Amino acid sequence: MGPGSIVVRNLNVRFGEAHVLKDVSFTVGSGESFGLVGESGSGKSTVLRVLSGLNRNWDGVVEIDGNPLPQRPDKAFFRSVQMVFQDPFGSLHPRMTIDAILAEPLAIHGLDQPDRRIERALAEVGLDGGFRFRFPHQLSGGQRQRVAIARALILEPRILLLDEPTSALDVSIQAEVLNLLQDLKLRLGLTLLLVSHNLAVVGHMCSRVAVMKLGRIVEESDIDSLRKQGGQDAYTQELIAASRRVALASA
Amino acid sequence: MTEEPPLVEVRNLRVRFHTPTRIVEAVRGLSFSLGREKLAIVGESGSGKSMTGRALLDLVPWPGEVQADAMRFKGQDLLGMSGEARRRLRGRHLSMVMQDPKFSLNPVMTVGRQIAEAYQLHRKASRSEARERALAMLEDVLIREPSRVFDLYPHEVSGGMGQRVMIAMMLIGEPDVLIADEPTSALDVTVQAQILDILEKLVTDRGMGLIFISHDLPLVSAFCDRVIVMYGGRVMESLPARELAKGQHAYTRGLLGCLPDLDRPVRRLATLQRDESWLRGG
Repeated sequence: MGPGSIVVRNLNVRFGEAHVLKDVSFTVGSGESFGLVGESGSGKSTVLRVLSGLNRNWDGVVEIDGNPLPQRPDKAFFRSVQMVFQDPFGSLHPRMTIDAILAEPLAIHGLDQPDRRIERALAEVGLDGGFRFRFPHQLSGGQRQRVAIARALILEPRILLLDEPTSALDVSIQAEVLNLLQDLKLRLGLTLLLVSHNLAVVGHMCSRVAVMKLGRIVEESDIDSLRKQGGQDAYTQELIAASRRVALASA
Repeated sequence: MTEEPPLVEVRNLRVRFHTPTRIVEAVRGLSFSLGREKLAIVGESGSGKSMTGRALLDLVPWPGEVQADAMRFKGQDLLGMSGEARRRLRGRHLSMVMQDPKFSLNPVMTVGRQIAEAYQLHRKASRSEARERALAMLEDVLIREPSRVFDLYPHEVSGGMGQRVMIAMMLIGEPDVLIADEPTSALDVTVQAQILDILEKLVTDRGMGLIFISHDLPLVSAFCDRVIVMYGGRVMESLPARELAKGQHAYTRGLLGCLPDLDRPVRRLATLQRDESWLRGG
């Protein structure tokens, strides 16, 4: 598989006695959007932590850009895979300005022209230069999540891992952030791996989805057949029913 | 039915915060009355929905100021009441489930003792009786091993469990009115359905009044009886929950429009166009 692809085969993660990922396998093609849904504790965030190199204790085969992921990835790896976390209130350093937050990954990777790159990253997420020297507490939740996306994009990754990127936001702000992610994906040719417990959000963003339960993938399907035929697995059906029960018939 | 005063009656509620530079108006002229029903208050962050709940309980933090033409609980005037009397109502008659169990539970006390403490505060009960009641309450909120969970500290329980612990704590005083501030936003859909069933039962069986504060429009439309839509501290629209999808106000329509729907895929989500005029008038 080419650049931007993700292959996971028989991924297992244990934390002491707890076996949190059990033979997880899936493949995401270059430029594809893939969703992982499931309840809290089902292991979906652990998958992202392995793929982003934050969890180094795993067995199995993981290939990123067609190259096997080592247990201790080198610096170049972190440039190609970046993550956006759920909580924009917790993921930005409260005592660093937006400028300092965005400059840090550039300094770590020794990239040139930090000034130009920071300006461009802010512009890409729809924030004007006035935000550059503010602190996170001076920004709204949606603006903070834009900064978190800018920080991920500033290293020009091929793969963006999104861990519940909008669940802490109001629905109107959620729509803006999801639209932004769609635009960026198309413009930059990004591969997206989106983790969410909201099937409607995953359905909007992704073409294929895997349903996780208790550390296993119980079903993998494309969104269209999930929409039309419902799921095969009982748990998938329950998730679909829950998302339909709370769906509004628009007038 | 006609003789009984409404459980809660609020006329022209205003909550203001005096800051050094300006006066922030969190709630601007809200009126509603609550019977034995499920009333939803929906809106985005900053719409004043949580401050409304806090004003009813006299829990608006300093330097907030609460004014209203009338604010009554079962016909009793809340505005003229002493702080002491308000405190006696709180927990026993009027309760509020806060949004975040991580910040609302005492981190250095086991969850069981916190629930038992809530019971002992309002009833003259022995410690062992309070413990029995707390265990029963944990079972009521569908916690599987109540006696094990009783002795856990808040950091040892999951978010969903913490949320249920808070609900147990608020319900143990058997309040007449429960204000639930985003009680299910941190929960998985399956647990969420169970919690809603518990609340539903309390309203139908015990005749409790429920004020359900949420930003989840589809959820309140399916669960509640009536909905008040708030924006910028003002009421935009008030309508039966089942008809929320037919809401007329531009703000309600805007909020509905930006929700993704599994069965109606769109290429791009609509975004909300805010209108300054919503904050004037009304």
